[in-house]
Order: sequence, then C-alpha cells, then structure tokens
Amino acid sequence: MSFLLYNYLHIYLFVALFLLFCGIAGVLYRRTLIGMLVSMELIMNGAGLNLAAFNRFVSPDNASGLAFTLIIMGIAAVEAALALSLIILIFRKYSHIEGGNLEEMKD
Amino acid sequence: MNVGEIVFLFIILATMCGAAMAVFSASIVYALVGLVVAMFGVAGLYIYLNSPFLAMMQILIYVGAITVLIAFAIMLAGPLYRRPSEWTTPGKFSVALGVALISLFLFVRFVVETFPKYGAPHFIMGTKDIGLAFVNELLLPFELISLLIVVGILGAIMLAIFSRGRR
Repeated sequence: MSFLLYNYLHIYLFVALFLLFCGIAGVLYRRTLIGMLVSMELIMNGAGLNLAAFNRFVSPDNASGLAFTLIIMGIAAVEAALALSLIILIFRKYSHIEGGNLEEMKD
Repeated sequence: MNVGEIVFLFIILATMCGAAMAVFSASIVYALVGLVVAMFGVAGLYIYLNSPFLAMMQILIYVGAITVLIAFAIMLAGPLYRRPSEWTTPGKFSVALGVALISLFLFVRFVVETFPKYGAPHFIMGTKDIGLAFVNELLLPFELISLLIVVGILGAIMLAIFSRGRR
C-alpha cells in the first residue's frame, strides 16, 4: 500500500491543534464579545475534528465519535444562540460590546 | 502525489488560513469570512475521514446557522466604523504561550510514540450506524441534547422579551 497523506491520524490532529491554538489566542486577543464567540466556534470545530479522526483511525468498529461530533455541533448552536442574545442585551444596555470593561450584569 | 493528496493539502491550507484570518484580522466581518472558510475546510476533512454525513451537517449547522446568526449579531450590535483596538497583556500572552508549548510538547510525544501504529483501518460507518448509535447506546445524551436546545431557545427568547435596555 502506498503512502497516502490523508490515511494518517496525526495530520488531522495537527489541524485540530492549530484550530485550538487559534481559538485560545483569539479569546485572549479579541476585545469584542463577537470576536471571542468566533474564536469559541474555532475551538469547538477543533474538538469535533479530533473526535471524528480518533473514531476513524483508532476504533473503527463503532460510530460513537461521529455521534458525539453531532452532539458538539448542537451544543455549539445553543451556545451561539444564547451568547448572541446576551451580546445584543449587553449592547442595548451599554451601547458597546467590549469585553474588558463590562463590570456589572445586574438588572 | 496524486490528486487526492493535492486537494487534501489545499483543504488543510484553507482551514489554517481561515482560522488565522478569523483570529487576527482587524475587521470583524473579515473574521467572520475567515470562520466560514475554516468551517468549509473542516467539512472537507470530514469527507476525507469517510463520514460525508458529518460534512453535510457541518455545512448545514455551522455555515448555514451559526454564521448567519453571528452576521445578524454583527449587524445589530456592531458599530463597524468604531473599531476597538485589540489588547493583550504580558500575563495573557505568557499564558497563551505556555498552553501552546505544553500542547505542542504532548503532541510531539504522541506522534513519536504512535506513528507507525495507527495506519488506516477499514472504516464503513455510515449514516445508518450513526442513527443506530443514537437510538441504542447514546439515547440519554440524545434526549439531553434536545432538552438543552429547547432550554437554550427558551432562554434566548426570555432574554429578548424581558430585557429593557436604555439607549
């Protein structure tokens, strides 16, 4: 069997690790809440790619990893909806969405 | 190097460039475009992982729903003409660097230890197997995710209805 690049686990893991790094760097670097949310989506993409890759290469006789990737997608959708409603709420209250100087969330 | 490998490398390059663009571009709209590119790249990687159902779901949920949601939030809440300057402190930078170095060290250890072990086993898990896994051994997480989605939607609606903001 010849050497095919997409038949190895580690290159998928490397891409997922890169997505995780970009997400962590974005959460730390971005100032607006929407930018932080975009970075969180990158982190969740990396986690789903990890699960699918491990399911395909390490335990190819069940489909639990693919199912949990779908569950991660659902959790990401719920998280995006709630976070965006909170962001719009914060924008209505404070007229900006910068994360550094949000100090109170009361009423 | 055949055509499949060239397309695979192109997909990986697009994913990485999209992720970097989503994080480090100055405008938030360009960041959203980079996020779309990264998500399409991850969908292509799912196709290379022999699971096209996940690729379809990735495009449908991430690109179709979440990105449109974020675009609406940018249009509703983002004063695009007033770009805030990004900020980072030495503490945060050192934390990010530490996480990156530790993860990279563990990744290199993992590669060194397991490189010849995991080849490419035969993988035929399709959409039917995912559905059977959901109704057989993953029934409780499936019901819990539906409950979570209902509660999340209700919470978002409650936040939108009962919030009185001051302009």
